Amino acid sequence: MANTTTYLGLIPLLPLVGAAVIGFLHLGTCKGERLPERFYGLLACTAPILTFLLAVKVFFDLRGLPVETRFLSQEVFTWFKVGEMDIAMGFLADPLSSLMLLFVTFTGSLIHIYSIGYMAKDESFAKFFAYLNLFLGSMLILVLGNGPVVMFVGWEGVGLCSYLLISYYSEDRSNVLAGNKAFIVNRIGDFGFVLGMAFLFWAIGSGGFDYISLKANAHMLPEATVILVCLLLFLGATGKSAQIPLYVWLPDAMAGPTPVSALIHAATMVTAGVYMVARFSFLYAHVAAVGVFIAWVGIITALVSAIYGMYQDDIKKVLAYSTVSQLGYMFAGVGLAAYSAGIFHVFTHAFFKALLFLGAGSVIYAMHHEQNIWKMGGLRSKLPLTYKTMLIGSLALAGCPPFSGFFSKDEILYSALASGHTGIWLVGVLVAGMTAYYTFRMIFVVFHGSPRDAHAFDHAHEPPAVMTVPLVILAIGALFAGFLNLPALFGGSQQVTHWLAPSLAEHAHEAAHSTEIIAIAASVAAFFVGILIAWRKFGQGAEEPVFRGFASFAYHTFRVNEFYDVILVRPYKAIGGAIANFIDANITDIPAQVIAWFYRQAGSLFKLLQVGYVRAYAIYMIVGLSVMSLLLAQSFK
Amino acid sequence: MIHDYLSLSILLFCLGVLGVISRRNVFTVFMSIELMLNAANLAFIALARLHESMDGHVLALLVMAVAAAEAALALAVVILLHKHTGKVDTNVFSLLKG
Amino acid sequence: MLSQWLFYGFATLAVVGALGLILSRHPMNGAMCFVITLISQAGLYALLSASLLFALQLIVYAGAIMSLILFIIMFLNIQPADLPQETGRWGFLIGGSLAVVPIGLLLLKIVRSLPAGETTIIGNGFGHVKSVGLVLFRDWLLPFEIVSILLLVALVGAIVLAGKKETIQ
Repeated sequence: MANTTTYLGLIPLLPLVGAAVIGFLHLGTCKGERLPERFYGLLACTAPILTFLLAVKVFFDLRGLPVETRFLSQEVFTWFKVGEMDIAMGFLADPLSSLMLLFVTFTGSLIHIYSIGYMAKDESFAKFFAYLNLFLGSMLILVLGNGPVVMFVGWEGVGLCSYLLISYYSEDRSNVLAGNKAFIVNRIGDFGFVLGMAFLFWAIGSGGFDYISLKANAHMLPEATVILVCLLLFLGATGKSAQIPLYVWLPDAMAGPTPVSALIHAATMVTAGVYMVARFSFLYAHVAAVGVFIAWVGIITALVSAIYGMYQDDIKKVLAYSTVSQLGYMFAGVGLAAYSAGIFHVFTHAFFKALLFLGAGSVIYAMHHEQNIWKMGGLRSKLPLTYKTMLIGSLALAGCPPFSGFFSKDEILYSALASGHTGIWLVGVLVAGMTAYYTFRMIFVVFHGSPRDAHAFDHAHEPPAVMTVPLVILAIGALFAGFLNLPALFGGSQQVTHWLAPSLAEHAHEAAHSTEIIAIAASVAAFFVGILIAWRKFGQGAEEPVFRGFASFAYHTFRVNEFYDVILVRPYKAIGGAIANFIDANITDIPAQVIAWFYRQAGSLFKLLQVGYVRAYAIYMIVGLSVMSLLLAQSFK
Repeated sequence: MIHDYLSLSILLFCLGVLGVISRRNVFTVFMSIELMLNAANLAFIALARLHESMDGHVLALLVMAVAAAEAALALAVVILLHKHTGKVDTNVFSLLKG
Repeated sequence: MLSQWLFYGFATLAVVGALGLILSRHPMNGAMCFVITLISQAGLYALLSASLLFALQLIVYAGAIMSLILFIIMFLNIQPADLPQETGRWGFLIGGSLAVVPIGLLLLKIVRSLPAGETTIIGNGFGHVKSVGLVLFRDWLLPFEIVSILLLVALVGAIVLAGKKETIQ
């Protein structure tokens, strides 16, 4: 069959093998003399680069196939078979996953290369790269899995790796707590994902539990089941992709090393939720109401996190909230059945967000691990390359034409307007303005004005080439990626949308050209208003503001963490403590304790027999023999 | 006739058992074990006579060899114990006491 | 008829010797009593026309093994004061007899059930060196070799155990 391949399984396997090799080498040598960092760096970058090459091969192989059967698959082995559940460890590459594959491996490789510079002289350099490879491998399983179950393996894998990497600097308790938080919050989402998967299997699983069979059988589902499954799966997506109400882990995830943040925000992890919704577009397309709900959740997340972003003082937190905000856009897109627009935003976002995080990493590196933007300033002259690349990333994030973010964001907003959801569109435009404002607030405060910390400023220097080259490559991507899906208005042909079409159940929103022009004009206007306000407030250098009232409330992220703590965490802990102290100690343990008491008593009884004298043991034996003899003698004739 | 020999063998064996379980002197215990082996030998030879087969003799021979080996080792152990404690009392060695 | 009397004589001596062994306080006395048992057993072997075993019982048991035991007893130079105070000896002996009697009775019961064949006239050479040797080296070669290895191991073990401390370490 033309659609089966033998190399698809290699794509996730290579980074996993890399992780195992590096991990075992590290374990084997961490006590004695360590292997050189250069060796580990080369080893770690091999797997991502090879997977990128394979991803390119997948792309060209797919292009060679006719549109109707444009997919590649490989079933490596039957994973388990229980009753009607026959799950193969199989991989599927269709246009959607191949697009994901391309940018995941591309940005992943660049982040690996960058990390060689950023993590240099770290105590457990090799451990970091083992985790990084594992992270990439998990994400590739997630993307390439041919059904929900295989996807779930990757889904859990990225959750695990995020935990490992967020709490990487585990000497500091708060980092460990951040890792725990990411893991636990993700578990809540995973719970929804598992339930959704179970319902889906219960309804139509017997006809095969991979995407192709599910897609074929989706019409047999009653509408109520579809709504339930879609909502449960979306709960999973809110966990992984940091949407309301489960977004709280992502800002805390900044505790990890900066390349990890880049990897989580750009290539892996947070895009998983959007990808999953697009993957199940054949379900979501049936229930428009759920889609609208998702879109509203997304756009409100975008709004709320943009408000947070406007008041943060940690450079990575600003970027973290911008990611949450952009993810909100993506969900607005996929919610409104503009799946290709959502995925395209994922694609462009990967470039400029990886760029911004790596740029922020360079700044932090140059400032000797200072992350507060109010301690920086005027770095433009010291870090010219970082400044230029980050400027490109910021323009893309803020949606300045013709940078990549502009096209993808505009497409989402246009879909909102064209499908008649004016409310979502208005909020979206507002958020676009706010995005421009907080992005350039960061740029102006960090790079313009005068230095706020003279000592750190004097010692700041451009990082080595191994860190700047990935920045430049990503900047080129952030600059031009948008042209891949140039809308017809600008003479393009929307290549990405056409490429993705076979994988997605898309409703094209047809609207007049005037609508499109209105959408674009509004976005551009919002961008300029946002940047103007930022320039007025921070362009000439500004002092660290003192937040009062609403600003302070927003700086503390509306006290959502405290709110969750009071209504969820503390009652949960109280119940757990009550169970541990009362039910466990006084009820559950009693049978065990009675049994233990019985054995203790029996043991102390038998202890009396163990007198230690050789003769005594001989006597026991003889007494036993004699009793046996008495019994035998009775039966003997 | 053979019954008498076998009964004597049983009596000697029982006396050996009695010696093992009622005495504390290491040498007496050890010689009681030898007595039990001898009783078994007597039974072997009596039964060999009964069945007119010499396999019993061979077995008795082997038992003697085993007894010799046992004597060598047991006496070595007794010497060691005596070196350590200066006693030949089995009750001194009660490290297994629970 | 003579053999009958001889049997009773030897049997009485053997039992008396065994009783002397388990009753005498000093191991030296016990060992001497045990020698009586061994020698009377040799006599019993002779009555059972086991001439080779008769000789071996005298040479190996009453001779070699017992002299080894006596040698060790004397080598350790055990004084009556060193002997364990066996105050409850009689209690143990009586209690032990009560425990052992059922075993003996069962064994006797089994013996009674054996065919009570009167001793028959047996062929020339029964129990002689040559005939036993033939059986030993023809049918029992492997056990014989194994026992020889056992003896060797016991020898090595005895040297290691009882040798001087320096030679152990």
